Amino acid sequence: MAFLDNSGDIILDAVLTDEGRRRMAQGTFGITKFALGDDEIDYGLYNKNHPSGSAYYDLEILQTPVFEAYTQINAGITYGLLPNTATDLLYLPRAKVNELATLPVNLISTYGGVFYVRDTSGDGSVTIVDRLGSTVDSTDGTINPSSRFVLFETGLDTGFDAVPVGTSANRTSYLVANNLVDTTFYVFFDSRLFSGIQGAAAGSTFANNGTSNTFNGTMTLASGTPASLDIGIANYSSNRVVAATNEIYQTTSNNTEQSYSVIGGPRANVGAIAPVVKAGLDAEYTLYGSTGVSISGLSGTYDIIDTTIYVQGSIVTLQIPFRIVRVRT
Amino acid sequence: MAVTSFETLNASNIATTKTLLHESIPLTGTIVSGTYSDNNIKNYTHGQFQSVYDYPYLSSSANHIFDITIGYDESSSLSGSANVTQNAKKINMYNQFSQVLLGFTGSANNVRKFELDLLLDEVGVMNESIFLNFSRLITKDQIKKGTFSITLGTGSWSGPFANTKTLTDVSASDTRGTANTFGGDYGELYSTDNVVRGIVFYQAGIAILSTSSFDGVTDFYSASAGTSSIAQTFVSSSITASCDALRHRLQNITFNNTTEINSSIYFCRVPHNKYNHSANPTYVSSSTIRVKSVNTDTPVAYITTVGLYSADNQLMAMAKLSEPLKKDPTNEITLRVRLDY
Repeated sequence: MAFLDNSGDIILDAVLTDEGRRRMAQGTFGITKFALGDDEIDYGLYNKNHPSGSAYYDLEILQTPVFEAYTQINAGITYGLLPNTATDLLYLPRAKVNELATLPVNLISTYGGVFYVRDTSGDGSVTIVDRLGSTVDSTDGTINPSSRFVLFETGLDTGFDAVPVGTSANRTSYLVANNLVDTTFYVFFDSRLFSGIQGAAAGSTFANNGTSNTFNGTMTLASGTPASLDIGIANYSSNRVVAATNEIYQTTSNNTEQSYSVIGGPRANVGAIAPVVKAGLDAEYTLYGSTGVSISGLSGTYDIIDTTIYVQGSIVTLQIPFRIVRVRT
Repeated sequence: MAVTSFETLNASNIATTKTLLHESIPLTGTIVSGTYSDNNIKNYTHGQFQSVYDYPYLSSSANHIFDITIGYDESSSLSGSANVTQNAKKINMYNQFSQVLLGFTGSANNVRKFELDLLLDEVGVMNESIFLNFSRLITKDQIKKGTFSITLGTGSWSGPFANTKTLTDVSASDTRGTANTFGGDYGELYSTDNVVRGIVFYQAGIAILSTSSFDGVTDFYSASAGTSSIAQTFVSSSITASCDALRHRLQNITFNNTTEINSSIYFCRVPHNKYNHSANPTYVSSSTIRVKSVNTDTPVAYITTVGLYSADNQLMAMAKLSEPLKKDPTNEITLRVRLDY
């Protein structure tokens, strides 16, 4: 008779993070919840075609070496495991930036791989609006409900015409019924550079139910709500922005979904991002960016700061590269 | 990205425990006297004690291991001798140790005298003493009771270890054989002939030896002026010279130290029906979950990290698994995460 295997539970040694140590020193240390992470795992290694059977599907994943614990909070859990209780999910949503020029809303496209945000502090006889002209898409960088914005969509991106297709019924059964639709998103931004984020205003609509299934919607902006959620990156703050229902559907005749959406499948929601440049940016260009640089296709020189804005829903995440730009000469 | 999916830890999920960790500390006499030609011995201009390092003390690699000093009570016959060297300082050293470790007594608030028993009844007092103060670096939280041993050479000056005397706290344990004072618990140091020759304060990390340990040794110290017994040395030699003489006769010290580790254990219970999916971007390909072929397949995720969070979602501590742990709806896992203080 062999000994009973009593290794049913696992003991782990935890290390305090910088923030944990700081709070201990302040006497405000307390732990009330936990989360689970799998950041090291590459699920692409899951081999459903392993010739030896299902017991071997995750052979490579189980051999993944795990990093030691870090003490910086931004090196903790980046994505995390999800508490969804449904076991019959086959699809999970993702987020994508929509830069379709055929979409009649105030969206902007990347120029040189980044989205431009205007800073008027360098304006003189020539303004940044004049300089960028129609060559470079950009957002205002100010609080303005009519400003242009970065548009993003969420949904099941299985491919146009692939199952499940992007019908209203599939949106309900695959997304709404499984609680996979985020109605708000957290937007994390560098608070040294931006004072806040404008997102889609309540009441914005996004549909292709116009005449002959043309676009029928309005997207205006409203300031996001400051949030306390911490991304763990120094100097980053968060705003919560609302999302509009994405009612771009596959239609039986004159299917226009590909003209208006980059999600090939049931769509969840759509959101807008227009960062508001902090007033008085000046030394920051030297500290965190570059001054007097040329931009391909434009005359003159510019001061620029490149930064990343992070968008997060309950499952989906998005990293959007922005460039703050002002006229130098 | 910020984590937004949490499981609550309530009071029933948190336990506290205390663990005692012991290390064996051997201090060989060759380090104390010989190996480094006394370059590891630091003397001070005030001349009140001597410090012993484990390496020449001018090196940044050197660690302080203990101090040595001597002293006697002002009622000792030695203090009344003629031509006493550093008389006041020797009395001061004794008083300093006694007032901290034993405190004061009587209506006149006289300092207590060390005694060769556990009674503190002013019987069997130790008027003349050698003090060994061990560094916190090696004693940690305290010396483990019943483990202290010191071997002294009681031979001639030229061959001190021809005869030895080993003192141990053989009668002390966690439950008996000690007395408690202001300086914490102390136990008696018995020689092999079952006579108490000193005491050891466990939490303070201080061993106090009676000069009776060297009774019968006529040349306890040897200098250009000649040889002297321990009593003569205490009178006519400086504290530093007396410490040198003791180091010359110190063959071995061993004890176990104790580190008290207080831990909180968080029972992170992962229900069978939750945390079987991941927000890891590689979890899906074209929005399709990679680990499933059809929706009836069992979902699976792999845990590598447990994060412990405050009420305002700040990561306080993090634990890593040694290897990915498979999680699917057929198993419920309890991860015991220990946080030591």
